[in-house]
Amino acid sequence: MKTEVRGNGASISIQNPSLFNTPQDSITGALKGCLGSLDGACIEKLLLHCASALENNDVTLAQQVMWVLNNVASSVGDTNQRLTSWFLRALISRASRVCPTAMNFNGGSMIQRRLMTVTELAGYVDLIPWHRYGFCVSNSAIFKAVEGCTKVHILDFSITHCMQWPTLIDALAKRPDGPPSLRITVLSCRPQVPPLLNVSKEEVGHRLANFAKFRDVPFEFHVKDDPRLSNESLAVQFESLLTQLTRSELDLREDEALVINCQNWLRYLSDETKGNSAHGFSLRDAFLDIIKGLNPRITVVVDEDSDLSAPSLSSRITTCFNYLWIPFDALDTFLPKDSSQRLEYESDIGHKIENIISFEGFQRIERLESGAKLSQRMENAGFFSLAFCEETINEVKSLLDEHASGWGMKREEDMLVLTWKGHNSVFATAWASTKLED
Amino acid sequence: MPVDVDNSSTVSGDASVSSSGNQNPPPKSTAKKKRSLPGMPDPDAEVIALSPKTLMATNRFVCEICNKGFQRDQNLQLHRRGHNLPWKLRQRSGKEVRKRVYVCPEPTCVHHDPSRALGDLTGIKKHFSRKHGEKKWKCDKCSKKYAVQSDWKAHSKICGTREYKCDCGTLFSRRDSFITHRAFCDALAEESAKAQTNPSSEPDPKVLAEDSSPTPTLLPASPPVSAPAPVEVQVSAPALPLPLPLPQSTSAMTSSVMPIQSSELAEDPSSVMEEAPALAPAGLNGSCSSGVSSVSNGSSSSSVFASLFASSTASASLQPPAFTDLIRAIRPPDCPIDPAPSTPIEPISLCLSTSHGSSIFGSAEQEDRQYAPPPQPAMSATALLQKAAQMGAAASNASLLRGLGVVSSSSSSAPQENLQWGQRQVDPSNASVAAGLGLELPCDGSSGLKELMMGTPVFGPKQTTLDFLGLGVAASGSPNGGLTALITSIGGGLDVSAAAATFGGGDFKDIGRRS
Repeated sequence: MKTEVRGNGASISIQNPSLFNTPQDSITGALKGCLGSLDGACIEKLLLHCASALENNDVTLAQQVMWVLNNVASSVGDTNQRLTSWFLRALISRASRVCPTAMNFNGGSMIQRRLMTVTELAGYVDLIPWHRYGFCVSNSAIFKAVEGCTKVHILDFSITHCMQWPTLIDALAKRPDGPPSLRITVLSCRPQVPPLLNVSKEEVGHRLANFAKFRDVPFEFHVKDDPRLSNESLAVQFESLLTQLTRSELDLREDEALVINCQNWLRYLSDETKGNSAHGFSLRDAFLDIIKGLNPRITVVVDEDSDLSAPSLSSRITTCFNYLWIPFDALDTFLPKDSSQRLEYESDIGHKIENIISFEGFQRIERLESGAKLSQRMENAGFFSLAFCEETINEVKSLLDEHASGWGMKREEDMLVLTWKGHNSVFATAWASTKLED
Repeated sequence: MPVDVDNSSTVSGDASVSSSGNQNPPPKSTAKKKRSLPGMPDPDAEVIALSPKTLMATNRFVCEICNKGFQRDQNLQLHRRGHNLPWKLRQRSGKEVRKRVYVCPEPTCVHHDPSRALGDLTGIKKHFSRKHGEKKWKCDKCSKKYAVQSDWKAHSKICGTREYKCDCGTLFSRRDSFITHRAFCDALAEESAKAQTNPSSEPDPKVLAEDSSPTPTLLPASPPVSAPAPVEVQVSAPALPLPLPLPQSTSAMTSSVMPIQSSELAEDPSSVMEEAPALAPAGLNGSCSSGVSSVSNGSSSSSVFASLFASSTASASLQPPAFTDLIRAIRPPDCPIDPAPSTPIEPISLCLSTSHGSSIFGSAEQEDRQYAPPPQPAMSATALLQKAAQMGAAASNASLLRGLGVVSSSSSSAPQENLQWGQRQVDPSNASVAAGLGLELPCDGSSGLKELMMGTPVFGPKQTTLDFLGLGVAASGSPNGGLTALITSIGGGLDVSAAAATFGGGDFKDIGRRS
């Protein structure tokens, strides 16, 4: 790992050539070399110190720690450095609220994000199995559940703009007894989180319809809209949403098999309980209650397996840091440091980090709960857990085989969990609203 | 004792100083929790840190009877059975085996950290090969290189065997990504529009373009589908025929109606245009976020990110951003809005490395770690900063400076410029190690913090910075001792006096040899 630097006849042997990567070197370059070897635990502690300094209004200390973190952070460095750069950004964003500056941080994210085209988004969701895993498990479970049905209606609650459905349409098209007619309904209100698309939902539906026609699957696409609410906050929109989830509003038909698909969705519904804590009922619970009332044939819930909605900032920082290294590490495995796809993907995760760490109250819309907790919530709402069949498991296994090794899968009761190097990343569950008579 | 271990410690307990390159894992208190926390291994697990040589040794498990070596413990046990051992000796040496996790010997690796240890010896071996090892195996078809033979074998099996090509020309090695892409690709939309206008020549719709058959040329007259196509939205377009009555608040599309719409687009542009401005923001859901804007291309967005925190990029100034600069940088710079993405995206088949059949980590069903949340920091902030300094200094002090070879004489002479880290000219009278690092300090080796901070323009406008750091002009044993310790230990670790003694002026060849 030695490189030679020549200048004026002298030759210097350098043991750590990465220090020379920066064209203009300074003390900070040297510092980066030293501090860059700080391990994850140390960085985590620094983050916690910074957070507690902010909470105690100790600006000086906060600035000092930020200075150190800044010298570790690099959005094009190794996994730890990249993670640190996004966490630092989130802390600075938080600090700006503690000590307001002249800059305008109007409560929204400062992270600029390019809007993607539909084909770019199609590539994005397949960069790592993070999303594709959920799609694969859910579609397989849905396919099984609608066996023999001639009409299927999917209520799609997700943030990935229908990227899940082409493979399901393809599978339904190849059904031996012919495809069912398929209806997909999405909501017009969606949390303003990445991935962001440069076209409307209607356009997405148009393309999907096009594809379905190409595969000879009778298809309808609906956008459930409430134009009065387009400028309201997410909380208000969601509350209104609940009133719209009725059989008549959704135009549910008697002869169709109803499927509820919740992907990375439930976390945006507030989990703060109203009323007594003993009989607390949150928006999330209310949503589940309504869904159950629609008597769907199957409800699939997929989300990230981590508890990131604790009231304590320190707890969130710790959990977040120890969880989100997983996608960063996965990307690091096969994409180079300057890959724009990787930077964009990490930036979207950074957006999430910023919301979790820098915001509070109704602005903190990321309220993720782990699979175990969510399963408990579903059971409390009266759902019955469904096990995934062998075919589903085999499909997932062959999916993971096609990706970098390091991805695995494990079963936790009826839940299927995607793992990276053994660590839980994404969980998938399936639920029935009535007990199956077997 | 079949296992050759260089270092053994617990994730949670204290570790003895280990073999070269390993850092002390930070002590953690044990707090058992039932629920596993993602990303954190069992705090009671025994952390094994093997040297690279031991890790890559092929036959670590040795039979005590005949000294035959095996790659896997199971194979050794199977072999031992063949020796017809008496019952007592057949048992493994009795103690309860603690759960073991392994760290990567490479100090810069993220898995070197005990909190990121891997639970599987085979896993860490393969990781070490893949990440830090030499890629000796090369695929003949596509020239991809692999460090682990099984990865190479697995790749060769599927390389070139399955390829899906979209009409737009993009190649995919996986079917689901191909299908997803195809569903949304412009090529499909244009092809179906063409099929509608030319029903006689419509290709068999059941055939998917899974082979690399060339696409018929696309009609230029087909409507551009990348722009929001409001024609399908039937909110208030009574002119278009609809099979179903529509409720006020929903918009529906049917695939049977769609082809009629595209041909009617040309005929009724005015109603379409009315819809367009109303619909364009609908999908974007304007809310309080200011973050939704497009940046011109990938490289400029990464420069936004990079310029935030990088101390030195090609375009950034020499000085690292002071805190005020950080805040300034965060405010979105004015970027031209260019909706057309110009960053080429690597085709998926090239991005992903393929794995072998039996993923090591795939047997995750067997793993059931108990995770615990990390304990609250017991150290004060100043102590932590000191520790950061020590760790930084200890781990790479020697290597940093020896490796840099940047030690120069205390006498003012000769072309110090050669040792410049930056482009700036160093005042030759400030010949010292610090000068070599571009610090422009007086050549007193025991530079105090004040001199360190004041002497370098690297920290930006001096007054602002000093105030920012709360040091004031008279920096002396202030409450910011931690930061002081950090700076001086890095500055002090430069070992100026020793360097000055060892080297004459300007003789840099010895430096090379020393490292």
